[in-house]
Amino acid sequence: MDTNPMHQFNVHRIGPEIKINGIDLSFTNASLFMLLSAIFILLFLLFGTKEKKIIPGKIQLISEMLYNFIGKMINDTAGKKAKPYFPFIFSLFIFVLFCNMIGMLPYSFTVTSHIIVTLAFAIFIFIGVTILGFVIHGFKYLKIFVPSGVPIVLLPIIMIIEIISYLSRPISLSVRLFANMMAGHTMLKVFGGFVISLGLVAGWLPLTFSVALTGLEILVAFLQAYVFAILTCIYLNDALNLHH
Amino acid sequence: MNDPGNLETRLKIAKSKLQNKKIEDAEKKGVFLGNAFKLGTELVAAVVVGVIIGFILDNWFGTKPILIIIFFIFGSAAGIWNVIRAAKRMQKK
Repeated sequence: MDTNPMHQFNVHRIGPEIKINGIDLSFTNASLFMLLSAIFILLFLLFGTKEKKIIPGKIQLISEMLYNFIGKMINDTAGKKAKPYFPFIFSLFIFVLFCNMIGMLPYSFTVTSHIIVTLAFAIFIFIGVTILGFVIHGFKYLKIFVPSGVPIVLLPIIMIIEIISYLSRPISLSVRLFANMMAGHTMLKVFGGFVISLGLVAGWLPLTFSVALTGLEILVAFLQAYVFAILTCIYLNDALNLHH
Repeated sequence: MNDPGNLETRLKIAKSKLQNKKIEDAEKKGVFLGNAFKLGTELVAAVVVGVIIGFILDNWFGTKPILIIIFFIFGSAAGIWNVIRAAKRMQKK
């Protein structure tokens, strides 16, 4: 049924079934919307940077603002050493942002409301940052688990706590994005269902709520992309500038 | 002293300052909201990781309930430590 609030999260195949070594690689609606957001980003940034006017047009202004926003964020949280990682953080931010925002359109599919997508991002970041830390600092990077000024008696316990805290990074990063997106979209759908079932008599009340919630969801969509990017910066900072 | 041109430029400067401040305030609000979203999951995730580690180790050594309890406690400690660290980072700014 379409009134099921979880129906919007179904992944279904589009086109022929592709199976390689028993792994299903078919093109689904999730892949379609990832592709769509990638295309939208490309078009948006291409148009934004096509004419470099001194007095920028709207699209140019927005793309320049996004560039400055991310550049400032990286500089504030990770310092000057993080400059080479700007393209990575920027693409991560803008991809998550566009996936979230395209998900706000009616009849669309929110890619980031699936934990497998966000977990893949988070684990990729986690492994990348860990490798980066070992490449830059060698085995000294293990110092991240040994805070300075701790008595030797407490050291084993603190180390276990630090390791758990380090391992919890990808979980918290992915669950936050996924849970916020899924909860928001389910809530919107539930209120939408109320409008239909209460009809003309009392349906106006949930309708006003869902208008307000849509505004809130757009804010959350932006904020979650921002938080995702800023936490990546913080983890990058820990790997680049080792200190405790 | 009562030069109108002077007053006009001063007004312009003051207005632009006011506008800048408004944008800055909005940015700050966004940062605070982002922080609020961050803290909750930070606490939970560490507990989850602790319990998973405890569960796996329990299955390895066959000490069913003991390690899961110990690592639950470690996980909670790690979660609280995460939150404290995040709060400290916020205060530094």
